[in-house]
Amino acid sequence: MDAALDLPVKTFIEVAEIWIPEGDRLVLAEGHYGALDSFADASRHASFARGEGLPGKAWAEERPVVLKAFDGSYFQRTEAAQEAGLTAAVAVPVFSGKTLKAVLVVLCANDNVRTGAIEVWKENDGVLMLDDGYYGAARHFEWVSQHTHFPRGQGLPGGVWASQTPMLMRDLGSGYRFIRADSAGKAGLTTGLGLPIPVPGGATYVLALLSALGTPIARRFELWDARAARVGKAEKSAVLADGICAREGALWVGETEEPRRVAAWQGVIGRVLATGLPAVESGTSALTHGYDTLVALPIHLDGEVAHIVAWYC
Amino acid sequence: MQKLVIIGAGMASGRVLEHLRDTAPDTFEITLFNAEPRGNYNRIMLSPVLSGEKTYDEIVTHDDAWYADNKVTCRFGEKVIAVDRARRVVIGENGEVPYDKLIFGTGSSPFIIPLPGHDKQGVVAYRDLEDTTAMMQAAGKPNARAVVIGGGLLGLEAAAGLRLRGMEVTVLHISTHLMERQLDEAAGYLLRRDLEKRGINVILQASTQEIVGGAAAEAVHLADGTVLPCDIVVMAVGIRPAVQLARDCGLTCGRAIEVDAQMQTSDPDIYAVGECVEFNGNLFGLVAPLYDQAKVLAKTLLGEEDAFKLRELSTKLKVTGCDLFSAGDFAGGDGREDIVFRDPGRGVYKRLVIEDDQLIGAVMYGDTADANWFFGLIKDGTDISEMRDSLIFGPAFQGGAQADPMAAVAALPPEAEICGCNGVCKGTITAAIEGGATDLGAIRATTKASASCGTCTGLVEQVLSVTLGDAFVLPAAQPVCKCTDLTHEDVRRLIKAQQLKSQPAVWQQLAWKTPNGCHVCRPAINYYLLADWPLEYQDDLQSRFVNERNHANIQKDGTYSVMPRMWGGITTPDELRAIADAADKFKVPTVKVTGGQRIDLLGVKKEDLTDIWYDLNQAGMVSGHAYSKGLRTVKTCVGTDHCRFGTQDSTGLGIKLEKKLWGSWTPHKVKLGVSGCPRNCAEATCKDVGIICVDSGYQVSVAGAAGMDVKETERLHDARTEEEAIEWVAAFVQLYRENGKYLDRAYKWVAKVSLDWVKETLADDATRAALNERFEISQSVYRKDPWADHNQSRAALYQPLADLTQEAAE
Repeated sequence: MDAALDLPVKTFIEVAEIWIPEGDRLVLAEGHYGALDSFADASRHASFARGEGLPGKAWAEERPVVLKAFDGSYFQRTEAAQEAGLTAAVAVPVFSGKTLKAVLVVLCANDNVRTGAIEVWKENDGVLMLDDGYYGAARHFEWVSQHTHFPRGQGLPGGVWASQTPMLMRDLGSGYRFIRADSAGKAGLTTGLGLPIPVPGGATYVLALLSALGTPIARRFELWDARAARVGKAEKSAVLADGICAREGALWVGETEEPRRVAAWQGVIGRVLATGLPAVESGTSALTHGYDTLVALPIHLDGEVAHIVAWYC
Repeated sequence: MQKLVIIGAGMASGRVLEHLRDTAPDTFEITLFNAEPRGNYNRIMLSPVLSGEKTYDEIVTHDDAWYADNKVTCRFGEKVIAVDRARRVVIGENGEVPYDKLIFGTGSSPFIIPLPGHDKQGVVAYRDLEDTTAMMQAAGKPNARAVVIGGGLLGLEAAAGLRLRGMEVTVLHISTHLMERQLDEAAGYLLRRDLEKRGINVILQASTQEIVGGAAAEAVHLADGTVLPCDIVVMAVGIRPAVQLARDCGLTCGRAIEVDAQMQTSDPDIYAVGECVEFNGNLFGLVAPLYDQAKVLAKTLLGEEDAFKLRELSTKLKVTGCDLFSAGDFAGGDGREDIVFRDPGRGVYKRLVIEDDQLIGAVMYGDTADANWFFGLIKDGTDISEMRDSLIFGPAFQGGAQADPMAAVAALPPEAEICGCNGVCKGTITAAIEGGATDLGAIRATTKASASCGTCTGLVEQVLSVTLGDAFVLPAAQPVCKCTDLTHEDVRRLIKAQQLKSQPAVWQQLAWKTPNGCHVCRPAINYYLLADWPLEYQDDLQSRFVNERNHANIQKDGTYSVMPRMWGGITTPDELRAIADAADKFKVPTVKVTGGQRIDLLGVKKEDLTDIWYDLNQAGMVSGHAYSKGLRTVKTCVGTDHCRFGTQDSTGLGIKLEKKLWGSWTPHKVKLGVSGCPRNCAEATCKDVGIICVDSGYQVSVAGAAGMDVKETERLHDARTEEEAIEWVAAFVQLYRENGKYLDRAYKWVAKVSLDWVKETLADDATRAALNERFEISQSVYRKDPWADHNQSRAALYQPLADLTQEAAE
């Protein structure tokens, strides 16, 4: 909760966009660009074949991809991005089994005050190692993370890996495995959202979004559970399993109360549930709990939308 | 305004305050005492605070502003020393407060096992924020280790939280499965597997002996000698109602403060609510009834009528990703029926217990979607006879068509994966069928589907059936019993392929249809497990026939026969004297020389068994296993020592073989014979393994029979030396142990697999050596006298239940 108490100057993520396959190319489905009109314009005219540009690379390599510098890279919108002050990007493929449903791309602006982290952890020899990550100004934390690994069940990545469930941790400062905890505390990282990223072939990836007080990744987080084994098969629906909001406080309910539930097509979460596609919604306050933008990402497991992770900023 | 004093700011009394605020805000002037230096918080959510998934702020129910707004005078951090009922005052550490009405909400205290070392630093209970903070601090140290004593709800939540915090965690649980009060064995197995996947070490049937260290706890010692180094010990073994204050002021207390249905204690102006309450002999630990009590108490205080009623409770575990549910009564029993659904692939287990057409209990793991619906059926006592057939599939299936597995397979799209091991989808199998593969063997050969672990065999057969229609006839292999469709051979193969090392693992992973197997499959599964995993699996006496359970043969009059082993048929005057003495002492009516060259004492009473064994043990004799599916006797002739025709030391070889093989369990009984020459005085050629000594060495033959069937042995190998003969015999026995179907004698097994295959397998030196090695590993566990073992650890079980005071005969 601490992460979202004060009004932030800037959020960590500037742009969020969703690319979906159309024929043999990825095209822009929707995006939130804030005031970055020219980058938005450049994106609307772009499309990517498999292996092409950042979204195409995530598709072809079937893994989340972190890109920390655009210059000289395969990134195709470098000029527009640089004009908009964007310097790094992360592409997250959304697979249902072997089928690519979409690629979520988030872009960040680099300066010396924005602290946060977007990390990709990959299982290697029975532990999770940092595959890559973007850390903004949290350089020491980046170094520490590169030299850390997580066994099953330990820390946010290990917890997500073991439970195959998204997790929202409030207390990275004292709990995120001691060595990282110390550094995370110094970097001001308090809240962490971890989610499994299923890919074809069975490799294990965990995406972690770590949020800091001044430049939060989001001001409201929601974890929706949509597994039939949890919500039943009669009607496609999802229940709010956990969440925090800078304005409303804790979003979970006690053991004796019923959690919030949405059916398929009910609101943005319901739409994600029904289509299996991620969503970016902005400019409609009623849909975004009063925040500027909402990003909702489905996690497909065993042929169903098992979880939906949503963040609002 | 009436003065209301509340002792204890817990969840129950907090709920009373909320009801009073909502319905009659200005009726009472309220003073709230709490020994903890804080107000009401959602104590049951401490586990996610421990794991870092919630903050303490999020679980605060009433903050300072709430108490101020509702004009509650808070005396937090102040213990109540006494209640003076005569003067109607509560005496706190900082002074007295008068009351008109008083509520005890003193809750409960954690139970601490008085082990040596339980008072060291670093030994904590798991009850309040202080305990939680202590655990979080312990987790802050690099490579910190925790031992959690207690595998119940709280202990497991603590373990999961500490693991997320980065600790190495071991859970010690005294029972045979986790959360035994809420879960049955099968669900307990899945929970354990789930926790082990999180890197949590679980030790069951753990007997904690002591906590050692200096001022602080440094290690936990178990009775079996295991030492678990640790930085913190969390004891989560249960709670006790905190009732000392109530008892001291003279309120009627049993195990807790006794109240009526209006929550009134023996003093009409004093009430109690929450975990400190006893109602009709019941104590309370879960939150739902506490909230019910709070509502009743608020109404009672306002003069309205209401009565607290007991209701069915359900259990959930707050470990992210562990979905379990249990409610009602799920013990087995006469007149109760089980409906079991298992999905090994998804780790799902559901069990419903039905009695008199009503659902009385439910246990679910991995799929809890319909838990509330089942819970409703239990609470309402609904007659389920109409929907019994589809009940387990939940509300979505009621009133609709019944689930047809063939329809489900038919509806699968071509890209649906059938064989997970080899990544074979339905389309590939269908194409193979269309290409001419019309039985399981051909599908295996062409697509590899069902060729590895074999769990998809049924599914592949259904695809064959769906595709070929009535051209395909499902093979009618004989299943082990009605609990499963798998054959013995399938079960043996899957136990090895899937590394199943416990009975619950077999029931779940092989989708058993009953909760715990039956009298047919349990002995077989018990044998397969102990034969394949001698070190990991612990022999289960409850899965054995009565003779093997009691290590003696039960006779038709209910007495037992006792037969000590006589190695190779050789005995001594001392042994004979001991047998004669035992026969006299225990008034054994019949003493018989058996065909296996030993002496049988018939007619021993069950309660005398341990004593007669003790006497025979003292004379150096051990059980002859005359009752077991294992090595029985090695019959010998006298050989070169005395016989003019003897070619080798047949007696010596017999003794060596018996000493190597005794105690080993086999699919059925195993009898050996060693004859010193082809005249065959030891009748070796009708045994399971027979050796005929000849001038050039030893003719090892196997698979004879002299029972319902009579069959001569067949030659396996000609050995030149005694060592070689022993090596071949042990390898043969181990091959039989690893491959035989339970209750197939060796000759039946050899007929199935063919002698050629046995010869070919054993002819390979490396294979033979490996079989010998595995046999010795198994014998390191089982080559021991069960009599001595039972004398030490199970003597009480042999005593008649009706007369527990009877003195031992010694």
